[in-house]
Amino acid sequence: MDFPDNLFPTFFLPGPPGLSDSPGSYLAPAWSDCMQLLKPPQDPSVNPQHETSYVTKWGRWTSDTPGPLPFLRPVAEPWEPELTSRDLLFQGQLRRPFGPKATVDVIEQLNQFLWDHGDVAFGPLGRLLQENFNLGEPKKSQKDRTVMNAEWLVQDLSGHQPKGCPWAHLSARQRRFSLRGGSVLGEEVDGLLGGLLHEELETRWKELLLNESRTGGALGWIPGARPHVGQLAYPTGQACNQLNFQKVKLSTTSGPQALGDPTRILLQGPVRQVVTRTIQEEALVAVRSDHHCAVWRVSRQGHPEPLQVLGTEKGATGISLSPHLPGELAVCTRSGAVCLWSPQDGLQQIYKDPETLVFKDPSSWRWADFTAHPRMLTVADRTGVRLTDVRGPPDRGELLFRVGAEASCKQGERVLLAQYLGTSSPASLNPTLHLICTQFSLYLLDERLPLVPMLKWNHALMSPPLLAQLLPPPCPGAPLPLLLGGLGGHLRMLHLSGGSSSTPQLAAPPQSLPSLRDSLPGFPVLEPHGEQLLQDRLKAPLTGLAAVVPPSCPSPTMLLFQLSAAGDVFYQRLWLQPDTGSENADSLQNSNSCTDHADDPGLDSHDQTTATSSLDTAPIPSAVSWNPRAVACCRRWLKTLLQVPPALPPWTPPTFSLHRLRWSGKEDKGKGREGLQAAMAEGRLLQQGDLGPLPSSDPPPAHEPFGPEDKLTERLEASWEGKGAIWWDSQQGDTQVLRKRRSREKRRTQLSSSFSSVRTTSDFSDIDSRHGTPSPLHRTSEASQSLELSQEPWVRSVPRERRQTLRDYLAVLPSPDSGSCSTPQSQNPSSQTIPTSEPGQHSVPRFQDPRTQTLLCPPPGSSSAHCSQNPSSQTPCSPDTRFNSLSHSQNSSVRSLPSRHTPSLAGSQPRKKKPRMGF
Amino acid sequence: MMRSQNGAPDMDDSSDEWMRSVEEDDETEASIGSGPEVHLPWLSQHIQSSVSHGHKRTNFAETTSICLSFIQEAVLKHQWQQASEFLQCYFQTLEDVNSQKRHVAPENIWKLGSAILYHHPKSNVETFSAFAERMKNIGVQNYLKISLQHALYLLHKGMVEDAYRNLNQAESWRYGEMSASQEKLVKLIQAYRGLLDYYTWSKKRTELSKFDMDSFATNAAAQDMHSYFRQASVNLHEIIKIPGVWDPFVKSYVEMLEYYGDQDGARQVLTDYAYDNDFPSNPNAHIYLYKFLKKEKAPVDKLISVLKILHQIVPSHKIMLEFHTLLRKSKKEEHHKLGLEVLFAVLDISGCTENITAWRYLARYLKKIMMEKHLDWIQEGWSSRKDWWPTFHFSYYLAKKNWKENKILAVKKAFTSGILLGKGCKYFMYVSKQGCKIREKSVKTMKKFVMKHNILDSEEL
Repeated sequence: MDFPDNLFPTFFLPGPPGLSDSPGSYLAPAWSDCMQLLKPPQDPSVNPQHETSYVTKWGRWTSDTPGPLPFLRPVAEPWEPELTSRDLLFQGQLRRPFGPKATVDVIEQLNQFLWDHGDVAFGPLGRLLQENFNLGEPKKSQKDRTVMNAEWLVQDLSGHQPKGCPWAHLSARQRRFSLRGGSVLGEEVDGLLGGLLHEELETRWKELLLNESRTGGALGWIPGARPHVGQLAYPTGQACNQLNFQKVKLSTTSGPQALGDPTRILLQGPVRQVVTRTIQEEALVAVRSDHHCAVWRVSRQGHPEPLQVLGTEKGATGISLSPHLPGELAVCTRSGAVCLWSPQDGLQQIYKDPETLVFKDPSSWRWADFTAHPRMLTVADRTGVRLTDVRGPPDRGELLFRVGAEASCKQGERVLLAQYLGTSSPASLNPTLHLICTQFSLYLLDERLPLVPMLKWNHALMSPPLLAQLLPPPCPGAPLPLLLGGLGGHLRMLHLSGGSSSTPQLAAPPQSLPSLRDSLPGFPVLEPHGEQLLQDRLKAPLTGLAAVVPPSCPSPTMLLFQLSAAGDVFYQRLWLQPDTGSENADSLQNSNSCTDHADDPGLDSHDQTTATSSLDTAPIPSAVSWNPRAVACCRRWLKTLLQVPPALPPWTPPTFSLHRLRWSGKEDKGKGREGLQAAMAEGRLLQQGDLGPLPSSDPPPAHEPFGPEDKLTERLEASWEGKGAIWWDSQQGDTQVLRKRRSREKRRTQLSSSFSSVRTTSDFSDIDSRHGTPSPLHRTSEASQSLELSQEPWVRSVPRERRQTLRDYLAVLPSPDSGSCSTPQSQNPSSQTIPTSEPGQHSVPRFQDPRTQTLLCPPPGSSSAHCSQNPSSQTPCSPDTRFNSLSHSQNSSVRSLPSRHTPSLAGSQPRKKKPRMGF
Repeated sequence: MMRSQNGAPDMDDSSDEWMRSVEEDDETEASIGSGPEVHLPWLSQHIQSSVSHGHKRTNFAETTSICLSFIQEAVLKHQWQQASEFLQCYFQTLEDVNSQKRHVAPENIWKLGSAILYHHPKSNVETFSAFAERMKNIGVQNYLKISLQHALYLLHKGMVEDAYRNLNQAESWRYGEMSASQEKLVKLIQAYRGLLDYYTWSKKRTELSKFDMDSFATNAAAQDMHSYFRQASVNLHEIIKIPGVWDPFVKSYVEMLEYYGDQDGARQVLTDYAYDNDFPSNPNAHIYLYKFLKKEKAPVDKLISVLKILHQIVPSHKIMLEFHTLLRKSKKEEHHKLGLEVLFAVLDISGCTENITAWRYLARYLKKIMMEKHLDWIQEGWSSRKDWWPTFHFSYYLAKKNWKENKILAVKKAFTSGILLGKGCKYFMYVSKQGCKIREKSVKTMKKFVMKHNILDSEEL
């Protein structure tokens, strides 16, 4: 193997990052890398020829469609967009009702900030006031009235200062000074300091929000036994705990096809990272979860078989599969330990240091990858990357990269990703290269020449680059495409050239690739709600990237699969279109023409009055447009997406059905009215809490209290109502209040014990839906129809002694028509809703399960007793009760938990009437 | 007292900014009365505004950042014309009210503008030069950087003389006090000029070699050439004192020194470049030194000591095979032992796994060592590799692959595997079986040797 013979000249000056006048800082600006200017001409006698550009030589990567297309059907779970730093920083219009859980320590923040930017904060003032302040030196001239002795002031300032608040103790002198000078002093610096502070705060929030667990990506490609078949490994599910192996058929001309349903493996933790690697025909999939790592071997038939699972107490932050030895992995954890792991030989700790490598950084993120030497590993943290020998003592090894002046890093720059770019083909690139990404730049380092970046490029990505993949050259001798993916979905493609005997270079200016957001125009226009849903979905963070080169394509092609945090897999087909001379998609002329043009486009100066030549002002890059097939694909996907129930059920206006009024009235305990009224007035969702706490006795069959006090149930109930924090506070603090509340609850429980039947019924709402009910709405209307038919016999069959009770009850119905229903025999439509008494006459067709029926039976008579006891205050509950039940039954297919733990007032559904009327 | 200072703002601040802050006085003072005991106007105001309005930025700053993102997007999509149009709007940042932003604006514009002009299909050298000339004088701080990059651009276009003139001009540029970094930059500019002088020198040298000896013209040409050498050597000598990677400078300087017979000087330069601890551990420094010493016919021990260091930095370099030959030929036994380690180390690296020369050397050397009964050397080298070499080099899959692609390589590897792993090794078994099928002679001899000699059997003995 060769080492590049002639390296670019560069300074090597160690120092802390952020030295703005480091002479190296200009040596690697974005453009000079592409221009290869720093390469001195090798032979001056030969006239340097104009190098043919990448486009003329190899062509141009073009995409079939302006944006990626959906590849798999959307997952059936709703997607809730994540918080952004904006959401947290600004009070303006928060998109989400809940506030931030994490907080920034403002005092600490300001303290550090003023230390960091002391020159800005205090420097100008000092210089301004220099002449007017005397710091205790003997006075030169008594006459100068403008000089003030600041000796005492400084003494006061250096006196007692409680930590965190230097101004808590103020002398009169200080106070006077601040009042007199305050207006003048601050303004000089406000613009600068305010801007810096704002920037810093946002950076802090971004840091807090950076989901570093997603580093590396969770989408992997496993090549199959046949070249045009492979598998995608990716997680789905709301908790990301379902690992999918989807077989994919690659076609040479059109897009990929998913073959059948994916193999699903349910895991006990969220999948954060998926790494795949095929060495010596052994395909392995490594998966990292928060506290577990696991390896699967994929057989030649494509069946994944688990090999081993590793538990990590502190949490794993990175996993990588060896490119040299099959079945060898490197795992690193938050405790700073790096282990070599192989299912055969077990674990071997290689390195352990809870401290960061170069300087102190609070982040516990660690990363490990392999190098060109199978026994050497890279160990990375936020401050640098180190080469460590597996065989040697852990303290031996040298730094490969350091956040510092050698690489002319900026202040605050941190390593986000360190990846080994080893290639198997010897002619393409040196197998000793490592990619290091920070939030600002991308570096390529050769492990044989540590600390001196071979290439630096300012990627200008708006989101942290956590994904990268190097692809084989599209055709022999061509530069290698390097894909870089930001968490926000931004993609960049770089073209790395340089054989084994030259330094890596960018063969062409980097280009951006379409992200998921660019696919939006491909979808039909929707109504606002659907549009929002779609946009949220397409804006979901990019959590996986896998590029595949399909075999035997007429022109070099790559398929780019993208996985979003919402669990969607999109793909895009890119192909290298040969350059067709001057006729280019974006009016880029053949590069030979550049010397021929005498008239420049007016760019020779920054004179803005110069008119631009309007000849080629419309360079539309997207000669590609949405073809009907792509649009149809998007449409199909969207159709499925819109069937996915939304995260929160939309509020629907309650339809008042007197049947419901009657039914739910029993649950009222007096307090409900106020709650309901408040909810109605505010137009918000009626919550369980508005109607008073729920009975805890007579649990449903599946439910077992977790102890005498059953705190868990309480807590679950409270959090379901959105009062988890209050519950916790009450648990923590005032036990007095708790006791009171509990006794009150107990009282209520006794009173409302009969409601248990109601709750029981709600438990079976999913059973019901399984029995083929089309939708709760239909069910309701059918049921009320049947009621209408059966009302007459019922009225007649009411025992005489109960008619008065019934009359009383009906008299208080809030319906505008209820005034006339003083008698049950009334023909008024409102009386239609009075339930039947004859069980046989009311058909309950959907209860085919006899067991269900028996379970639904309350103790006979108890319900009717309540009914007559307290009829007046029942009615107000019903409209929302119905809504509650509706929302639950809608939800039931999505979440089974709530229907079980949150007793709803779903008892108002018509079918439950039959057992109730058991008298 | 304080007010009296208002008339003389800091030099860096433009008057409009000053005016603005004076105008805002009223608001600030109003908040003094109602605020806390000590008023921090800059702080509270900005925290307040960032919290309540989201954006503190002025409209201009907002627009500027949008404009910048447009330019970047166009550049990333290779829409050079569009990018250039956006850039014309971006020039307005030169008049930003925020002095800090105004300060960095020229650099940003230069970076973007030069990249666009480099790729723009209608741009030419004149356009680029005109742009560079303008930008040089906008940000005083950037004069040197832009000059250097401009010169490199011209070099790239083959305009050596223009580049030289440019560098010369930049070198003589003075503005106020020089900062430390500017001094270094000037040295780099001088070094590039020295490099150009060297190019002229080497051109003259080739011309001179064509002339007849002892003519007047020859003498004059030689004088001319010497003057270029003097110019170049002064500048190149300066830059290689500063820590860095200076491969082209060192090479050209050494070449000139050698031409004038200053071998000691050249050796000193190369030794300093290789062994100075302030410099990065550049493998090229050692390679240059080795090549120089080799040309000089330096003693073998000297060469070996240079290559020993290179072996530690880059064990996979192709010179290592040369190193192995040197060691093998050496008289010392420790060198023989190191020779084995060097070969092992070459084959450790993933890029060298199919290096047939290395495998041939290893097979031959192992055989030799076996015959010389230095089994302990092999075992020592093998002990740190026995847990991973079998899968890394001698797996069944690789046996099939190697045999299919390169039979000679497969035989060499099989021989090595047989010695190291015994005759039961999968790789050895596969290749010897396949070799017997096609009656390969080399396989037969290999089999014969391995049956008798391998370290497993020898251990048992």
